[in-house]
Amino acid sequence: MQLPSLSAILAVASRQYIVWKKLIVSALVTNVANPILFLFAFGFGLGRFIDTMQGISYMSFVVPGMIAYGAAFAASFETTIGSFSRYHMQHNWDAVLSTPVTLTELLLGEALWASIKAMISAVAVLIVGWLWGGIPSIGGALLALPVVFIAALCFSCVGLAATSYAKGYEFFSYFFTFWVTPMFVFCGVFFEIARFPDFIQTIAWLLPMTHLVAIIRPLSAELPIDIATIVLHVSYMIALAVLAFLVALRRMRHRMFD
Amino acid sequence: MNKTTTNTNPIIKAEGLSKRYGDFDAVRGIDFAVEPAHCIGLLGPNGAGKSSTMRMIMGLSTVTSGSLEVFNHPVQEMTRVNKARIGLVPQETNLDPDITVIENLQVFGRYFSLSPQTIAERVPRLLEFMQLEDKAGALVMALSGGMKRRLVIARALIAEPELVILDEPTTGLDPQARVLIWKQLLALKQQGRTLLLTTHYMDEAQRLCDRIIVIDHGQILDQGSPKELISRHVGGHVFEVEKPRLPKSDTGYQDSEDIGDTILYFVQSPAEFIETLPEDSVYLHRQANLEDVFLRLTGRVLREP
Repeated sequence: MQLPSLSAILAVASRQYIVWKKLIVSALVTNVANPILFLFAFGFGLGRFIDTMQGISYMSFVVPGMIAYGAAFAASFETTIGSFSRYHMQHNWDAVLSTPVTLTELLLGEALWASIKAMISAVAVLIVGWLWGGIPSIGGALLALPVVFIAALCFSCVGLAATSYAKGYEFFSYFFTFWVTPMFVFCGVFFEIARFPDFIQTIAWLLPMTHLVAIIRPLSAELPIDIATIVLHVSYMIALAVLAFLVALRRMRHRMFD
Repeated sequence: MNKTTTNTNPIIKAEGLSKRYGDFDAVRGIDFAVEPAHCIGLLGPNGAGKSSTMRMIMGLSTVTSGSLEVFNHPVQEMTRVNKARIGLVPQETNLDPDITVIENLQVFGRYFSLSPQTIAERVPRLLEFMQLEDKAGALVMALSGGMKRRLVIARALIAEPELVILDEPTTGLDPQARVLIWKQLLALKQQGRTLLLTTHYMDEAQRLCDRIIVIDHGQILDQGSPKELISRHVGGHVFEVEKPRLPKSDTGYQDSEDIGDTILYFVQSPAEFIETLPEDSVYLHRQANLEDVFLRLTGRVLREP
């Protein structure tokens, strides 16, 4: 067993970057315009009926939620539909694995690139939300970005784990219905989770999105949060990322090599 | 290129090599070796076990049992450095369709951790080698099938591999493209590189391969140079004699095969054989070739992959 090589991981991510540049318009529409449209819908729509939520203005509430959702959606999309296309349709993974790049490095490169795309989404929403007055503490919001990146790696790895089980594209309709959508509706993105019944709150805390929102929102809205809480949330996301990555690696190794 | 030709250790050595998928035995205990600076052909019908064998050599498929050594090390322990000494031309063209010809080569160079300078230096040479200079900036999706195939070969050479594995390199190409590829594959052999290829074209195998391994149902049926195989299995000549005017005796040929309206006779000395034919018989006399060997060994029954 050889240690993963950083240059191999970066080679995989840089290939995705080169392809992304060619298709930049459609890529930006999906990953930037999509969360911003949601932001406008909630800001103008719901925002008119709600003065404050959790003691802050609704815009201050919903902008950090949309930053988290933008990152989650971009990362999840990239390592499911995107990765599956490269693996299954383009046979790009076969090409990569015929070189010294190992499966571990290939999957790490996929997760890294998906997380970079997630950051592009998150930063775009952050800028629009800030201009719109939804970020009382821009310093706090910027401080949250490394946490968004860790969360993006977590979403990416879970996406890879799903991809490792996918036989066709229809499999991802389950993934989006039972994983991505619940993260949008139950995890405090545009609605505080305290309003849900207990069992839904329990489910919400199993999803990494809840933990991400629980860090970004206090930081960007100047609410109190202590270091220990941040460490706890981040640890949960890292643990889930590692677990999902190992599942993806084991399952893909079996699928491709056995 | 300073390739060592003094080293006579085989580059690939398989003993009792087997591959099992579920309860299907794709490769059943084969033994073979590939010597440096040779071109070895792996011939067999669809589903014979050729691709499985190649995937195991590349480390892309686990070995079920037996031993497989590549560059004198068990394939399971193949290092990054040794993996970089192999170039693979896969059966299925898996180029990046959305980017250009040059970008495909650059991206591949990075997978081998080559420096940008090395890549910049090699790309024009590879484009020239495969006559793709005019297409350097074209998107891959705009290339013809033959150009894509040539690009896949160029791509496999980016790290100047000592061993080049080619899985049906010319399937589906026009004669011009095939001639170019043959010429350049022979040039690679001249440079001291080792080639292992599969093909369904017997003329290709006869032209390129020093040694041929005929494989079917996961087992090796025979191996040897094209000449050896021809003389061993089909004599030097073939007479295709139309029914019903057949030879008067069964002397003069070493074997025969009924293919319907015609019977094929595999003959060592044609003059002797002609004696045994009735005067009014209708026949075609030709040199025996590898195709005859292949069909003798693997049968004429149609295979579905």
